Amino acid sequence: MMTKVWHRLPLILALVVLAAVVVLSVVPALSAGALDQDIMLSTALPDADHPLGTDSLGRDVLKLTLAGAKTAIIGPVTIALGAMAVGLVFGLTAAYVGGWVDWIISRIVELMLSLPTLLLAIVVAGVIGGGYWTNVLVFVILYAPYEVRLVRSGALAHINDPFLDAARLLELGPLRTLAFHLFPVIRPLVGAALFLDMSNALVSLSSLSFLGLGVSPQDADWGRQLSDARNLLFDNPYAAIAPGVAIIVTSIALNIVGDFITEQSEKAER
Amino acid sequence: MDALKFLGKRLANLILLLFVLSLVTFGLLYMTNSDPARTLAGAKKVSAEQLAAIRAQYHLDDPLWRQYLRWLNNLLHGDFGTSIRTQLPVSQMIGQRAWITLALALLALAIALVIGLPLGILAARRNGRWQDRLVTALAVAGLSAPSFAVGLLLLYGLSVQLGWFPIYGLGEGGFLDTLWHLLLPAITLAVGLFASVVKISRASLIKQVDSDYTLFARSRGVARRTILAAQLRNAALPIITSSGLLIATLVSGTVIVETTFAIGGLGTLLQTSVTFKDIPTVQAITMIMATIICVATAVVDALAALIDPRLRVRRSPVAVAAVAVTAGSSNVGRADNDGTAGANVSDDRAVDAAAHGAGANDGKETAR
Amino acid sequence: MSDKTVSSVVSSANVAANDAKLAHVAANVAYAANDGSATVASPAVRVAGLHVTIGGKEIIHGVDLTIPRDATVAVVGESGSGKSVTAKALSGLLPDRSDASGDYALFGEPINLEAGERAWRRLRGGTIVWLPQDPFSSLDPLRTCGRQIEDGLRAAVRTGRVADRAGDDRPVEQGRLTKAQRRAAVERLLVDVGLSPAVYDAYPHELSGGMRQRVAIAAALAPDPRILIADEPTTALDASTQETVLDLLESLRSSRHMTLLLITHDLALAVERADHLVVFHGGQVVEEGGRDQVVHHPRSPYTRELLDAHTRLAVTDKPAPGDVVMRAEHLMKTFPGAAAPAVNDVSLDVRAGEILGLVGESGSGKSTVARCIVGLETPDSGSVVFAGNDGKPTGWSRGEAQLVFQNPYGSLNPTMTVRQTLAEALRVSGKPADDAAVRALVAKVGLEAEFIDRKPGTLSGGQCQRVAIARALAPEPKLLVADEAVTALDANIQTHVLETLLELRSRLGLAMLFISHDLDTVRRIADRIAVMRHGEIVETGTTDQVMNHPRHDYVRTLIAAMPPALD
Repeated sequence: MMTKVWHRLPLILALVVLAAVVVLSVVPALSAGALDQDIMLSTALPDADHPLGTDSLGRDVLKLTLAGAKTAIIGPVTIALGAMAVGLVFGLTAAYVGGWVDWIISRIVELMLSLPTLLLAIVVAGVIGGGYWTNVLVFVILYAPYEVRLVRSGALAHINDPFLDAARLLELGPLRTLAFHLFPVIRPLVGAALFLDMSNALVSLSSLSFLGLGVSPQDADWGRQLSDARNLLFDNPYAAIAPGVAIIVTSIALNIVGDFITEQSEKAER
Repeated sequence: MDALKFLGKRLANLILLLFVLSLVTFGLLYMTNSDPARTLAGAKKVSAEQLAAIRAQYHLDDPLWRQYLRWLNNLLHGDFGTSIRTQLPVSQMIGQRAWITLALALLALAIALVIGLPLGILAARRNGRWQDRLVTALAVAGLSAPSFAVGLLLLYGLSVQLGWFPIYGLGEGGFLDTLWHLLLPAITLAVGLFASVVKISRASLIKQVDSDYTLFARSRGVARRTILAAQLRNAALPIITSSGLLIATLVSGTVIVETTFAIGGLGTLLQTSVTFKDIPTVQAITMIMATIICVATAVVDALAALIDPRLRVRRSPVAVAAVAVTAGSSNVGRADNDGTAGANVSDDRAVDAAAHGAGANDGKETAR
Repeated sequence: MSDKTVSSVVSSANVAANDAKLAHVAANVAYAANDGSATVASPAVRVAGLHVTIGGKEIIHGVDLTIPRDATVAVVGESGSGKSVTAKALSGLLPDRSDASGDYALFGEPINLEAGERAWRRLRGGTIVWLPQDPFSSLDPLRTCGRQIEDGLRAAVRTGRVADRAGDDRPVEQGRLTKAQRRAAVERLLVDVGLSPAVYDAYPHELSGGMRQRVAIAAALAPDPRILIADEPTTALDASTQETVLDLLESLRSSRHMTLLLITHDLALAVERADHLVVFHGGQVVEEGGRDQVVHHPRSPYTRELLDAHTRLAVTDKPAPGDVVMRAEHLMKTFPGAAAPAVNDVSLDVRAGEILGLVGESGSGKSTVARCIVGLETPDSGSVVFAGNDGKPTGWSRGEAQLVFQNPYGSLNPTMTVRQTLAEALRVSGKPADDAAVRALVAKVGLEAEFIDRKPGTLSGGQCQRVAIARALAPEPKLLVADEAVTALDANIQTHVLETLLELRSRLGLAMLFISHDLDTVRRIADRIAVMRHGEIVETGTTDQVMNHPRHDYVRTLIAAMPPALD
C-alpha cells in the first residue's frame, strides 16, 4: 500500500496545489490587502510583517502572489473550455459527416495550425491593446484548431466502429449519435486535453502579461509580478521567486493531472 | 502520387500560408484602436496638416488592396519602412540585431538536441525503469515551466547568487564574450525545447521497441545492431515531422527569453515595438519570423516525406501484384488479390488519424 | 518495481555464467539435432512444469509438453488459453515484466528459461524461430523484403552452424558469404516460398497480405531453424490461400527436416494438418497426443466439446418458409476509384422462417450486399424491397431489417451498459424500455440477467454478440442479417450462438441472411445457399444441392478446401 502512495505522490501533490489555487481564487478574503501600496516600505526584505518582503510599490509579496491565483485559473479555464467547445463542434462534425465538410474544416485547421501561435498572439494582442480578456479571446481562437484536430482524430479512430453503424440502423439521428455515442468514446481524450490546455494557456497568458501586454499594472498577476520583479533581483529576490515558483508549480500540477488522465484512458483501452 | 506532385502540393500550401500571414500582418495597422494615420504618427501630438502629410506619405487613402500590394512589394524588395519610434529604417534596425537572435536560437537548438535526443533514446530503452521515470519527470517539468519564470530563477540562482554567468545584456566584448552572455539565455530557451525533444524521441522509439517487426527480428536471431538501426530509422520519421513544431517554439521563444535577459535581439525589438505600437517594425519582424518558421517547417515535412518509402510511388518490382493492390488509394480495400480476409483499409482519413495521433500535447506549440 | 529489481540482479549475475554455458549448449543442440543415428533421438522440445507470470499475474499454470522431432504439431486453444504465451516463452520472447520457470530442453540439451537476451540470441534463428501472426506488421516498412530476409541469413553464418545436414545438398555455410552469394541465397528462399526473386527489391507495403506472409516465412527460414513456431499463420488469410500457405509450410518442413509448431484456434485445421496435437485451455495443457488418438479417444471434456463443435447442428423444428420478406433485384455498386464493381447484378430474396446463406471470400462483395440491404450503402442501381406491414412493399426502415456485425466488441458502445444499449434500442423503436422489457429481450438471446448492468469490456465475445443480436431484435425486424457474425468467436462458442440463431428463427419466424466466408459454418445453419465471387452470384440452391451437387467450378474448389468431417 505504501508503494502505491509513493507512486501516486506527484499526482496527490498536484491535486493539492490545484485545490489551493482554486480556493485562493474564489475566496477573495484570503488575499485581501494584496494591492495596498506603501511606498515607504518599497522593496523591503522579508520581516515579521511581510514574510516575503515587498515589491517596488510596497505591496506585500506574499499577499500579491496569493492574489495572483485568480488570473492564473480563470483565464486558462476559459481558454481550455472555449477552445474545446469549438473543437467538439467542428471536430465531431468533420469526423461524422466526412466528405467536403471534413475537407474544408481540415484545410482551415491545417492552415491555422501552421501559424506560429505565440508570435501571433503577442503581435495581435499587443497591437489591439486590449487587456486580460482580449488576450483570453485571442487564445481561445488560436487554441481552437488544436482541439478540432484532436477531437477529429479521436473520433476518426472510432468512426468505422460498427456500433455507430448500429446507431444508424436504429435511426437514432445524427445529433443523438454524436452526443451519446461518439462523444462518450472520446471523453477521456477530451478530459486529458483540458488539463494540458490549461497548463499551456497559463503559460501563454502569463507570457503576454510578462511582456506587458496583458493585465493592467494594478492587477495581481504572476506574469506581471515577474516582469516588475526583474529589476529587483538584487534588492528583494523573493519578489521574483514567489510568482516564478507559483507559475511553475501550478503549470506542472496541471500537466501531471493531464498526463494521469491520459494514462488512465490508455489503460482502459487495453 | 508522384514525388514531384507531392512537393508541388507542399509548395502551394506554403505559399497560401505565407499569403494569409501577410494579410494578417498587413492588417495590423488597422487593428489598433486609433486611426491608422494617428498610429503612424506615433505617441506625440500632431496637427491636422501633419496627419494629412502622413496620410499622403503612406497612401492611406488608396483602396485597401492597393495598399496591401504596395506594402508587399516593398517587403519583397527589402524596404521595410521607417520605425515610428526611432525614425530609423526598419531594415537597418533588424540588420543590427538579427544575428544575435539567430545565434541565440541556434545555440538553444544545439543544446536541446545534444542533451534531449540521447536522453530520449535512453528513456525509451530503459522503459519503465528509474532512468525513464527521471527523464520523463524532467521533461514534464521542462514542458510546463514558462521560460521567463525559469529564466529569472536561473538568473537569480546562477548569476546573482553564484556569479557564474553575467547578469543582463550582451556585454561589451567581442564575439566570444557575446556568446558567453548568450549562454544562460540559450539554456533557458533550451529547457522547453529539450523537453519536447525528449518526449517525442522517447515516445517514438518506444513504439518501435514494442513493435511486431522487432519481435520477429529478435526471434530470427538478427544482430542487435541491425535491429537498433531499424528502430532508430523508423523512429526518426515522426521525430523529423515534429521538429517543424520545435522551430516555431524556438523562434517565438526568443521573444520571451530576450526580454527576460534584456538581450538586444529581434525579440526585444518586437516586444518594444508592440508596446509602442510601432507598426512598421512589428510588421517587418513578424513577417520575417513567420516566414522562417513556415519555410523551415515545410522543408522538414518534405524531408520526412522523401525519406519514407511508403510515400514514394514507383514501378514496383512486383508490378502485377502492385497494380491489383492499388496501395494508398481510397478504395475500400476489399479487392485483395491474394485473398486477405482482414480489412486492409487504405482510408485517407484513417491514415490521417494514425499520423496525427490523438495526444493532447501533440503538435501544441507551447508558449516559451 | 522493487521485486523485479531483485530478480533482475540475480538473473544478471546468472547471465554471465549462462552465456558460456549456452554457447556450449547451442553447439551441442546443433550437433544433437542432426544426430540421426541409431540412438533414440531426444524430442525437439520437452517442457515440464512451465509457469509463466506476466506483470505479476500467472498466465501459464504448470504446462508439460513433449514435441517430437520432424513432426507437424498443432497447438490448439481459444484466445487467451495461453498457447501464444507458451510459444513465446519457449523462444525467450516474453515481454519485459515477465517470469518463466520450469524444466526446458531442446533436443535433449537443457535450457535456462531465465537466461538473458544475449544467451537467447544464440539459440534463436539457428534453433528456433517464431513467426508472427500479422503479415502487415511483422516486417520493417522501411527496408526492402530482400534485405530483411538477408538479416536472418547473416545470423546463421555468425553462429557458425557447423553440423552437416544428412540428405541435404546445400553446402556448409561457414564464414562470411559475399554479397552476391547472400543475394542468391535470399532469392532461392523466395522461390522456395513461391515468390518471384524480384520480390527482393520490393517494399512490404507494395505486396498483398498473402505475399507478405510468404516473405515472412522466407525470413523465418533464412537462419535455417530446427524448429519453426508459426503463430496463427493463416488467420488473416482466406480459405484458399490458407490451403496454399499450409501446404507450403508442410513441404518446407519435410524438405528441411524441421519441426513445425502450428498455433491455431481452429481445431479442424489442426486435425487436418498435424500429426500431433496439443490442446490448451486456461493456461494449461488439457490434452496431448497423436492426431488419431486425440480425435477418436479424447480424454478431456474440453477437447470433446471442441470436437463436437464441428458436427452438424441438430436442426429441429424447422418451420415451413412463409412469404417473401425481402427481395433485392439487380443490385449494382461500384466504389469510387475501384476498377471493378463490388456488386455486379446481384438478386436475392429471403422468406420468413428461412435462412439464406451467402458465401464468398473477402472481396467478393457479400458485405456490400448486406449493407445495401439495410441501407448503410446506397446501390448505384437496383432495388431492395421489403414486404411491409400492410402487404404494401416498402423500403428499408429499422423495423424491416437489422444487422449483426462481425466484431463483437466494436458493435457495442463501450461506454454504455447492456441495459442502456438495449433500453435505447427499445425506446427508439417505440417499445416499452423498462426493466421487464430489457430482461425479456436478454432472455430471448440466452444471456443471463446478471450481465445486464455490465459494460462490453467485461463481457466475452460470445456474450457481446448476444447483446448485439438482442439489440437487433429490439425493433422487431422481419429480416436479420448476420454479417460474419460468428467468425470472430471461438469454435465452441460459435456453436452456441448458431444454436441461438436457429432457435430465434423457429420461435419468431425470422428470416435470416447468414453471411460468411466459411462454407463449413454456413452449411450447418442455412436452408439455401448462394455463393458469391467477384461481385456476382455464381451459384444458388438448397444447401443439399449446393453441397452435394455443385455446378460451378469455384464452388467445387471451396468444398474441396473444407476440412474433412471430424466425426
